[in-house]
Amino acid sequence: MPAPSILYHCPCLSTSPVPPPPHLPSSSYSFHPLHTLFFCEECDAVRCNRCVSVEVSGYYCPNCLFEVPSASVRAEKNRCARNCFMCPNCRNTLSVVPSDPPDPGDGRLMVPISAVGEPPFLLYCNYCRWDSSEVGMTFEKPTGLAAQLQKFEDSALDSLEFDRLKEHFEPIIRASSLSSSTLPTQAAHSPHTNPITAAATAALARDIPGVAKYTPLTRSQRGHKDKSANKDEMPQYKSRVDITTASKHGTGGGELDVEMMKRLEDVSEIARLEQRWSLSWTTSIETRDLKPLRIPLHSKRSKRCPACTHILIKPEQKAQSVRFKIKLAAASYLPAIVVALPHRQQALAVESAKRSMVKSTTAPPDEDREGKCELQAGKTYPFNLALSNPLYDPIQVRLSVQRMHVSHSEGAPDKARRPPFAISLPTSPFTISAFAEAWEYEEDDEMFGLDDDEVLEARLRGEKEIKTKPKSVGVLEKKGNTTVIGGEVVIGKEARGNVKFNMLVSFTYRSDDPSPSESNDMGSPSKAGSKVTETKTFAFYTVVDLGAIIPKEEAKYIDDIL
Amino acid sequence: MSIPTTPRSKTSFNPVTPTTKRTAATHIVQSSPHYTTTRRHSLYGVEDRVVIDPGSRVWKVGFSGEGRPREVFYATEGASSLWTLRRAADAAERAEEDRMLEVKMEKCLRSVFHDSLLTDPKARKVIIVEHPLLPIYTKDTLARVLFENLQVPSVSFASSHLLSLLAVGRITGLVLDCGYLESVALPIFASRPLFPQIQTTPLAGSRLHSHLRSLLLLFGTYLPPTSPGPVNIPTASRSMRVPPEILTDSILDELLTRCCFVGEPLLSVSSNDTRDVTPGLDEGSETDLPPSSDATQSESDFSHVGRDSNVSSAQASTSDFSVISDPRTPVGADPRAGGLQGLANLYTRHSTATDLRLRVAPLPGGGGLGYATLIIPGWVRERAAEILFEPGDVDEKSVAEVILDALLKVPLDLRKTMASSILVVGGTPMLPGFIIRLHSELLRAIQPSPFVPRHPVRPDKPPPPQYDRYASLRPLTPYFAIVNNPSPGEPHSDRAKNNAGKAPAFTPATMAWVGASLAGVLKTGGVEVSREKWDEVEPMGGEDSAMGDMSTSTPSQSFHADRDSLHQRNILPDWTRIPLPTGVPSAVTRVGA
Ligand SMILES: [Zn+2]
Ligand SMILES: [Zn+2]
Ligand SMILES: [Zn+2]
Ligand SMILES: [Zn+2]
Repeated sequence: MPAPSILYHCPCLSTSPVPPPPHLPSSSYSFHPLHTLFFCEECDAVRCNRCVSVEVSGYYCPNCLFEVPSASVRAEKNRCARNCFMCPNCRNTLSVVPSDPPDPGDGRLMVPISAVGEPPFLLYCNYCRWDSSEVGMTFEKPTGLAAQLQKFEDSALDSLEFDRLKEHFEPIIRASSLSSSTLPTQAAHSPHTNPITAAATAALARDIPGVAKYTPLTRSQRGHKDKSANKDEMPQYKSRVDITTASKHGTGGGELDVEMMKRLEDVSEIARLEQRWSLSWTTSIETRDLKPLRIPLHSKRSKRCPACTHILIKPEQKAQSVRFKIKLAAASYLPAIVVALPHRQQALAVESAKRSMVKSTTAPPDEDREGKCELQAGKTYPFNLALSNPLYDPIQVRLSVQRMHVSHSEGAPDKARRPPFAISLPTSPFTISAFAEAWEYEEDDEMFGLDDDEVLEARLRGEKEIKTKPKSVGVLEKKGNTTVIGGEVVIGKEARGNVKFNMLVSFTYRSDDPSPSESNDMGSPSKAGSKVTETKTFAFYTVVDLGAIIPKEEAKYIDDIL
Repeated sequence: MSIPTTPRSKTSFNPVTPTTKRTAATHIVQSSPHYTTTRRHSLYGVEDRVVIDPGSRVWKVGFSGEGRPREVFYATEGASSLWTLRRAADAAERAEEDRMLEVKMEKCLRSVFHDSLLTDPKARKVIIVEHPLLPIYTKDTLARVLFENLQVPSVSFASSHLLSLLAVGRITGLVLDCGYLESVALPIFASRPLFPQIQTTPLAGSRLHSHLRSLLLLFGTYLPPTSPGPVNIPTASRSMRVPPEILTDSILDELLTRCCFVGEPLLSVSSNDTRDVTPGLDEGSETDLPPSSDATQSESDFSHVGRDSNVSSAQASTSDFSVISDPRTPVGADPRAGGLQGLANLYTRHSTATDLRLRVAPLPGGGGLGYATLIIPGWVRERAAEILFEPGDVDEKSVAEVILDALLKVPLDLRKTMASSILVVGGTPMLPGFIIRLHSELLRAIQPSPFVPRHPVRPDKPPPPQYDRYASLRPLTPYFAIVNNPSPGEPHSDRAKNNAGKAPAFTPATMAWVGASLAGVLKTGGVEVSREKWDEVEPMGGEDSAMGDMSTSTPSQSFHADRDSLHQRNILPDWTRIPLPTGVPSAVTRVGA
C-alpha cells in the first residue's frame, strides 16, 4: 500500500488487544484496509479475513459458470466435469475443435465448434497451439469431455495401485482391531502405538526381534535364522506396476531418464516442476507428455464470526452474481480515515501543472519529485487525517498515538534502525456529524483558525515562523460527515526507515440497543446516564504510514541537484 | 508445435490416455470401476480426512483415500524455506519469528481448506505428515492454527518415514528422506520407527541449491539480452560471468528440476556397466583420476563455455571464442575455485552431457531487450549432485553414509532385513539417476578404502580419515536393495531380487503423502488429538523438563533447543518426549551422534 496510508487492526481473538509495534514485519499482517474488514454486532468486534470462519455455500466453474451441486463436487475432484480445460503448457482455456481443422498452419485461429465437425475431436490451445492429439487424446463426442477424461483419472495407475495397497493392509488392520481397541489411542505417553503397530504385534503374536514390546531398544536374546522373507512377516506386497517396469517405459528417474537428460538440447522439452509435482505416479518428465487439466471449481463463501458464529457475509447463490445477501462490513460501523500529506499534494499539483504546460515527453527527473514529496530527516511536516462517520448519529472521536515500546533485549543495531520521530495530534475529542444523504447536508462548513492550545503546545518546540503559518495541529475542517484533523511529525536528524505509528481511535456513539442486558462488550462501553441517552464507546487501533524518511546524506544530495 | 528430432531411447508410455483405453486397456477400468469410486465418495465423503504434507518449502494437500494430492504448492513466498532448523537466540527476535511463522502457516493452512480443497475445516479431521526433525515449535504452530483458527475436529501427526513405507506396501524398512533442509535415515520395524537409531545430515536440497549456485557462478555463462540497434554483437563478446542476482531460488529450482541429473560414479566411468559396482571392480579406473596438480591445468578444457548450443556435444577443447571462466580470475587465487577447477577438468573430460541454455529474466537496468540467456555446462548438470555423495565427516555425512550409519545402529539380526528394504523418498531423489547412484555409493562405501583418496568436493575440508568404518556391513553386500530403485542391476541374492525395484511406481516426493492418504482410509496412522482435548489443556509456561539438558547439544541437534516454546502444550505427541528405558542414552544425545 503506497504511503501515506492507514490500515485497521483486527485483534483476531488474540489475547492482547494491543497490536504489535509497527516496525516489526509481523505488524503488517495484523492490519488491513477497512474495506476488507467485517464487524460482528454480537461480539461488538472487528473481524478480518484471517480469522473469520469460511463456509462453502456453493460451487461453480469459473469458466462456464455452471453451478455444481455439492453432491458431485467431491467425486469430480473439485474440477469442472463439463468441457472446461486448461492448456498444460500455458494454462489458457482450451477449445474443442474437430480433428480436421481448416489448416492450422497459417496462423489463423481455429473457431471452436458447437456440434458440427467431424470426429474425433481435439482440445486445442488458441494461445500456444498445443493440441491434445500430441498426447494421444482424441474424443468421439465434442461434449462431456471432462467426464470422459475423469474416467481415466479414476482408473489412473495411482488410484489402482492405491486400491491394491488398501486391500493389502485391510485384513491386517481388521485382524488387529480387537487388540488395538484395548490399546490407548490418545495417550500422549505411548505415541507410537497405532493400529498397524498393534496389527504387527498382535497378529503375529510374537516379539519383534531385537525390539521387545514397549522397550524398543533392548536387544532380544532370541536368535533368528535368516530367511529371505523380512522378519516382520508381513505378507509381501506385490505391486501392480513396480518402479522397475515403469522406468523401462521411460518414467521414474531410471536409466532411460538419465540418458535423455544427458542428450537434452532444449530445456523446454522437460516439463516444469509445477507441471508434474502433484502426479504421485511416476510419469514422463517430458513436456510433450503433459495432459490437459480440468479447470478447478471456485466456491461461493459465507463468512462467520469465529467467536459467536454469527454470519458476517453471505453471497447470492447465483454464480454470475457478485452481490451479497448479508454483509456486515466494518466500513458501515467504523469511521473511514484518509491520510494526506499536504506538502506532497502541493508538490504533485505543481508538478502536474508544470507538465501540462510544457507538454514535454521527457519525464522529469525522479529526484525532483521525491525531493519535494518525501520526508527528509531533520524536518517537520504537517499531515491530515480526514475521518468520515458512517453512522446516522454524530460521533465523538478521540485519537491517541501508541507509545513505541522499547524492548530491553533489543541490541544496538536495532536501536539505530528505529525511526526517531515525534507525532503531534489533537488530544481532545472532536465530533463528526452524522452520515446523511448528500442533499440533506446544510452548508455548514467550518474552517478553523489558529487558536487552539494544542497547536501552541506542539509548536513550542518547533520553528519560530509558527505565527505566520496556518494552524496545522487540531481540527482543520468540518464538512458533511467528514472532519479533517491536522497532525504534525517532527523527524529526527539521524532518522531512517518509515514514519509509521500505531494510533488508537476511540469513538462514542448513541447506542440503538434499548436493552443493555448483554454482558459488557469488548469496546469498553461507558454507559453514560440511564436508558434514555445510552452511549457506547468503541475503540480500535490503526497503523498510519506517512512514508519513507530520506536520510540526511541523500537529502543533501537531492538538494544539491535542485 | 514442432518437436526437435533428437535421438531418443525412450518410448512414450501413456497407459491412461483415452485412446489407449478405447483399444486395449479394458482390464484397467474393470479392476476399479469408476462407479464404485464415486459411490464410495458420496457415502463416506465427510469421513475422508484432509491430508497435509507440510514441507519447509513445498506443501502437498488432498483427501485421504485418493492416490494423489489435489494440490502441491510452494509455501515460502520468496523466502527459501518456511522455517529453519535454527532459531534466534534473542527472546524478542524469537517471538517475532514465531509470529511470522504463525502468520505464514495460517495463510497456508487457510488456503488449503478454502482455495485448494474447498472444504469446511470444522467438518474435517486432519492428518499431518510429520518429518522427524520438524521443530516442535513448528508442530505446535500447525496444531494451534488448525484448532484455534480453523477449528478442525482433530489432528493426527504421523511419521513421514512410516507413511512412506505404507505407500510401498511395507511396515518394515530403512527409509531415507532427502528433503530440503536435511536428509534423514530412519529404520522402521513392524511399523515402529526406531527413533534412537535416526541419522541425519545437512546434505540435502538446500545444500544442493547452494552448490549449484557456486558452480554456475564459476562455470556458467550469462548472455545479456541483445542491445537494440543495427549492430548484432557476436555472442562471444556478450558472454560474461553469471551475475549472482540472476540465480534466484526459483531459477535454481528450475535448473535442478529441468536440467540436472545424477551421473554414474566417476571411478567406474571407464567400465561400461557402472551399476554393478562389485568389489575390486572400481580399482580398475584409477588412472582416470587426475594428479593433484591438475587443478592448475590449462584453461582449454573450459573453452566450451560460450559455445553455441546447436553443437550437440559439450565435450572437448575446441574453442569458438574466448572463455569466460578464467582469465579474469587466476586459477588458484581462490582455493575453492582452484579445487573446483580441478574437478571441473575431471568432470568435463568424462561428461557427455550437453550444455543447455535457459532463458532468464535479465538483470534490471542491464539494458537490451527480451530475455537473457544462461548457459549451463553439461558437466555441471551431471555433477552438481556430487556434493551429496562425496564422503563426508561426522557432521556432514553423505546420503549413503547416513543410511549405513543407521544400519550400523540397527540390531544385528535386523540388519539384513533393513539393508534389503531401503526406501528413498523426498524431493531431491526426484533427480533422474539419483537412486541408481545412491545404490552404487552404498556398495562402494562398504568396500575397503581404495589407495588413492577421492577428490573432495569441498577443498576446504581435509579428506576423511581412512579407516574401515563399515567393515561390519561388508557381509551384507549381496543383500543391499533399494525397493524403489528404478533401474536395479543384476541382483546378487534372492533377497535383493525380491526387493530391489519392487515398490510401486509412486514418485519419491509424494510417497509420504500417498502413505498418509492410505493411513487415513485405513483409519490408522498417528495418534489423534481432538479439539476438546486441545482446548482442555492450557498452554504451558517454561521449559519442558525432559528437554532440560541442552548444554551438550551440537549444531545438528539445535532443533531440540527449540522445543521450549512458551505457548507449548504438552498434549501433542512427540517422539522426543517418550521416556526411554533406563540404561539407554536419551534420544537427545543419540541424534546426530
Ligand atoms: Zn482477524
Ligand atoms: Zn466449466
Ligand atoms: Zn497453451
Ligand atoms: Zn461474533
